[in-house]
Amino acid sequence: MTRASQALSGFIALLALASVGFAARHATSRRQANPQPATAAREVTFNRDVAPIVFHNCALCHHPGEAGPFPLLTYADVKSHARQIAFVTDKRIMPPWLPDPGELKFTDELRLSDEQIATLQAWVDQGMLEGSAADLPAKPTFSAGWQLGKPDVIVRAEKPYVLPASGSDSYWNFVFRNPVNRSHWLKAIEIRPGDKRLVHHANILVDREESGRRLEKEPGAGFGGMELIIESEAFDPDSHFLFWKPGSPPYVEPDGMALRLEKNTDLVLNTHFQPSGKPEPIQPTLGLYFTDKPATLHPILIQLDNDRLLDIPPGEKNFLVSDDFTLPVDATILAIYPHAHYLGKDLLALATFPDGTKKTLIHISHWDLNWQAVYRYAQPVKLVSGTTIVMRYVYDNSRDNSANPNDPPKRVVAGNRASDEMAHLWLQVLPVSNTAGEPASSADPRIKLEEALARHHIENNADDFEAHYNLGAMLHMRGETRNAAAQFAEAQRLRPGDATVENALGGALLAMGQLSAAIEQLSAAAKARPDYFDAHYNLGLALEKLGRKPEAIAEYQAALKPRPDFTAARNALSRLAATGAQNPSASVGH
Amino acid sequence: MGRPWHTFRVGRLLLIAIVAAWLVSSGSLSRSAQNSALDLEGNPADPLKMAAGRVVVLVFVRTDCPISNRYAPTVQRLSAAHAGKAVFWLVYPSKAESAESIRKHEREFGYKLPALRDPQRVLVKESQVQITPEVAVFDAARRLVYHGRIDNLYEDIGRARSAATTHELEDAIAATLSGRTLSAGTAPAVGCYISDLE
Repeated sequence: MTRASQALSGFIALLALASVGFAARHATSRRQANPQPATAAREVTFNRDVAPIVFHNCALCHHPGEAGPFPLLTYADVKSHARQIAFVTDKRIMPPWLPDPGELKFTDELRLSDEQIATLQAWVDQGMLEGSAADLPAKPTFSAGWQLGKPDVIVRAEKPYVLPASGSDSYWNFVFRNPVNRSHWLKAIEIRPGDKRLVHHANILVDREESGRRLEKEPGAGFGGMELIIESEAFDPDSHFLFWKPGSPPYVEPDGMALRLEKNTDLVLNTHFQPSGKPEPIQPTLGLYFTDKPATLHPILIQLDNDRLLDIPPGEKNFLVSDDFTLPVDATILAIYPHAHYLGKDLLALATFPDGTKKTLIHISHWDLNWQAVYRYAQPVKLVSGTTIVMRYVYDNSRDNSANPNDPPKRVVAGNRASDEMAHLWLQVLPVSNTAGEPASSADPRIKLEEALARHHIENNADDFEAHYNLGAMLHMRGETRNAAAQFAEAQRLRPGDATVENALGGALLAMGQLSAAIEQLSAAAKARPDYFDAHYNLGLALEKLGRKPEAIAEYQAALKPRPDFTAARNALSRLAATGAQNPSASVGH
Repeated sequence: MGRPWHTFRVGRLLLIAIVAAWLVSSGSLSRSAQNSALDLEGNPADPLKMAAGRVVVLVFVRTDCPISNRYAPTVQRLSAAHAGKAVFWLVYPSKAESAESIRKHEREFGYKLPALRDPQRVLVKESQVQITPEVAVFDAARRLVYHGRIDNLYEDIGRARSAATTHELEDAIAATLSGRTLSAGTAPAVGCYISDLE
């Protein structure tokens, strides 16, 4: 296999950074306190009735150093916010937990029962009695340091971002350049986003193609923005939710689900802050935890969306956007992440089985961007091939929606800015391999699924750049280079001058033997991004095939400049040296 | 203004009763110190008896209330914008908050306003406030013309707009300075209950 085809497997995953993530799998089980229903006849005390509720549901964030603005660990702590607690729990503002209760359970549900809420109200109504010391459960203990012990590698953002004292929410991205110097299997990342009181959520994208760096004005400075596009590889898509939200301890991937991290991989941390009233410098730290157990299970992320239909007139209170995608393979859903911006109101996802029965995957009837999260199923949800996943999102672009970023309301369409809108639903699924009766060779279900998804997105929107690009990548992998080139050409029509597309199209043309057309594309890519080593390498191959050896050597050398350990380029130079071309090794060094 | 005065009286009477009981039990502190707000040196201070002829704005805040803190730049900006016409005071209604922790809080959040402690809730009652952050505006004759939210940045706890679209405090100050009667009543503040405080 030539490097050209490897490079071509470059695959663009559009991930809304705003939140791909993992809901906490808490190390300590959050045992639900089970107080007696409060009745007028019964005395409600802090020690017996309230402390168990608060310790299990509130203290996780409400302790020093965590996201909660004040601690809730003692009678005095809770009493000094008692009416507020009664108010916010009654309105289910706290604890923050968006999904409505349903048949499917999520891990670490943070939802108070009606009885628990009634107990809190009764306690305040009765004058906040402390009760007998003997009734007080042990105060929860929290470790201030790394939650999983000392990380294998600790990296800190190069430069702090200074959050302004006032204004609306901020979205900032930090690029962690090459945190490791050799390949590792990563089982967990602990995200320490800085002052946790300021951070609504944070999310890591694995960036193998330096996509994040290219957006920085100067190296290490980071860059603004709520959503971003990270290029990734089709065959090892980084389909892990690496998410932090307040109160969530780091998620440890189960055995076999580790993430590949290589020396040239960057990590991009996308963060969402709310101003505190004073300027706050924020310099996040990541702790990386490795495992020697390589990945044997390969989840992928399915994205349903229908952004093309997002065109919400001002004043519209119930604007529906839907998408339906039918699974071409059996698959098990591990986690789900619904995503909309500030106009989102009611977010629903269903599975319709081949026999017509339906199951609610998630329903958030009071969407609030500030508390978005990834939800992991307590029991993975098995879906058979032919099951349709249905996304139904309702938007409110009226003045009634206090989160509406526009006053007066104005027309809102799809986009990556906070003031634009999105209708996305991600599912992390494990496609089931080798369904009975199918030859193993044709059965990587991920390719089938990705291809079906790309075709689905093109059906929704013929101008979907990522879908054309991804379909091209899948076709190229399957050896359908002519069809792949046609898809890349479509992508190029939609985004002329994009170096990634030029490289892909050039690679496909190269594989088809259309060398001069390939050289035209690849030269453009290499010129647009001089450190684009894949493009230089592919251009070298094309020139070498045409017998233009000195030019080929120059391109291989150009590929080695940004990436000195690029083995394929080194091998190519040795190959050319062996065939009598000018020996280049002296000029590149080792 | 349309505030029922009898409610105010009841408040006063209750306060006196509480203070009297307190004096009996402690006996050492002067009556005046217990019957008024205190400056950060511990001296009795009544902002309504100062700055004659000017509008007085009392801003009730709490060090550990995130919504209250988020308003710091807004409060500072509004006080600067009305310098010479309206006098702003920060009022900390907590009994537990020390002068030192208040000074620290002011430094951290860039407040450059005089601060008062109101452990006996004298100003809280005169201003009829219940929440931090909540503001009270008194005209030159020291009539309470407005109390309530600063603006509508927060619709509810945890539900902030990207920017406020109504500005009740500014409107109240402007109306008072121009001698207009405020037609709107109070707009309820969103934040932390003062009654939760020790």
